[in-house]
Amino acid sequence: MVETSLLHLDEVTKRYGSVTALDSLSADVPLGRIGVVGANGAGKTTLFRILLGLARPTSGSVEVRGMSVAADPIGVRSHLGYMPEHECLPLDQTAADIVGTFGEIGGLPARAARQRASDVLDLVGLDEARFRPIGGFSTGMRQRAKLAQALVGDPELVLLDEPTAGLDPAGREEMLSLVARLGTFGISVLMATHLLDDVQQVCDHVLMIDAGRLVVSGPTEALLERTGVVTVDVGGIPAAERLISELAVLGVVAEMVDGAVEMPVEGDDDLDLLRDVIAKLDLPLYRLGSRLTSLDDVFMQRSGHG
Amino acid sequence: MTTTSPPSASAAGAVYDRGYRPYEGPRGGRRAATFALYRASIRRALGIRRSWRQKVAPFTLLAIVTVPAIVNVGIAYVTRDEIGERVQIITYREYVGVSSALLVFVAITAPDILCPDRRQRVLPLLFARPLTGVDYVAAKVGALFSILFAFSFLPQVVLFVGQALVSNSALDYTRNHADVLWKVPVSVALLAAFYSVLGAAISSLTSRRIVAGASFIGLFLVSSITAGVLVGDVEEKATGSAAALINVLGLPLFLRDLVFLGHIDPESRLKGVENGGLYAVVAYTVALAIGILVLLRRYRWMER
Repeated sequence: MVETSLLHLDEVTKRYGSVTALDSLSADVPLGRIGVVGANGAGKTTLFRILLGLARPTSGSVEVRGMSVAADPIGVRSHLGYMPEHECLPLDQTAADIVGTFGEIGGLPARAARQRASDVLDLVGLDEARFRPIGGFSTGMRQRAKLAQALVGDPELVLLDEPTAGLDPAGREEMLSLVARLGTFGISVLMATHLLDDVQQVCDHVLMIDAGRLVVSGPTEALLERTGVVTVDVGGIPAAERLISELAVLGVVAEMVDGAVEMPVEGDDDLDLLRDVIAKLDLPLYRLGSRLTSLDDVFMQRSGHG
Repeated sequence: MTTTSPPSASAAGAVYDRGYRPYEGPRGGRRAATFALYRASIRRALGIRRSWRQKVAPFTLLAIVTVPAIVNVGIAYVTRDEIGERVQIITYREYVGVSSALLVFVAITAPDILCPDRRQRVLPLLFARPLTGVDYVAAKVGALFSILFAFSFLPQVVLFVGQALVSNSALDYTRNHADVLWKVPVSVALLAAFYSVLGAAISSLTSRRIVAGASFIGLFLVSSITAGVLVGDVEEKATGSAAALINVLGLPLFLRDLVFLGHIDPESRLKGVENGGLYAVVAYTVALAIGILVLLRRYRWMER
């Protein structure tokens, strides 16, 4: 087992009667932030249950950080943190009490658990609310409290099941920002989600699952391809419309996408033309970059749904 | 001329981003996790770290079950100079009985420490820790047992110490009642084990506390009434009936009598039944075993 391998899945299959939840999954997943992507019912939660030792695979084997889940599920769980998708915190207890208690149940001495609870609640932005009952928390606060209880034991790997579920756009950005930071703390993340944008934003490696089968496994960046289209942000819709009109006069077809301008380029001449038009119109240039395929495109293509 | 020094940097304030600090201290395994869950369950049952309302039931119960002991000691004190046998309203054996307060306490507490874990879907978080189903059951039943034992044993301690102090000689009293020093804890343990296992088993079958509590009380009432109907009026009969074992409420009390008297109480519904004591032990054990099996089945931590 290589030192940098987080997960080793070897022909993992899980059947519930006639239903195959996972079908011969094999992958070597490195340390880092990994996105497990698939539609509802694709097998993401089943995979998590198998990693936690809460479900036994019908066939195949799983290793987490070199430890066999079948041989030592308790030992594996000692190194994991888990944030379920559903509501799961006692509503009549305070955040500090819950996170501290879960820290103790995770094996930390009582005093250390209370200190760790305070630290992780501070990390997730709940330091001022830690003595309030969970029942009074907003959805975003509850998600952060769930993340805190997953981190209190200082896990090597944290399993996040749909961490942005139910969050508004601002809450989603905050949660993704927190998840991204975990990687800098040396904590690997396995994030299950059906939102490809979340994975594209945060994860270094992607596992795509469709109907229990592994569609693709690889570094996020490698999966994304350059499309021959550039995206230009000139500071808003009015400026973008001016740019598009001017390009049209020169015979270049450009379109507006989400307030930015997308224009096909074949070489440096096209880029020079774009630069000159922007300078002529005296527009600010905030961003210029190649438009990549989205993970949506990759998923649709590889799973055969596209 | 005075000189002023410039304000120090600390007076201007500072923001520290402590970042994330890894934990490098000791870690416990299953045993530590189980004990932590046990402690958390006791705190919940006694309302510790919860609002004052959650403390009312347990401490009211403790007061209620301690009252007979206080009254007994008080009467003994008042009549200490009278010639003849002191008035005693309750014996140690009778005190190891099932009071309504104790049943109500189990009906409230067992669901309170089990049902929310299922209703609020906390179980996946618990079983994502180094904890098995057996550990979970041991922690929860252990917590219930500890509280029931303490709440049943403490009044006995009050009674014994009080009686010893109001007697002519505390040393003589202790010597004359030395058997009580083991009979009471053993009988109380048998009672506490029985009600903690059955209370937990019934609570494990539902996620709703009120259903669990009502079911617990209902089981005992129905079985008690059924046994009463089947056995009939024992006072008018020379012999009781094995049907008395249907009364789940009474099973620990038969064992209590075996501990204190060495035989079934001649005034109980099981009086005169051949091998009645053995049947009582078997029935108690079977009921306990069924309760434990239900618990282990309900808290299978790994699906099959």
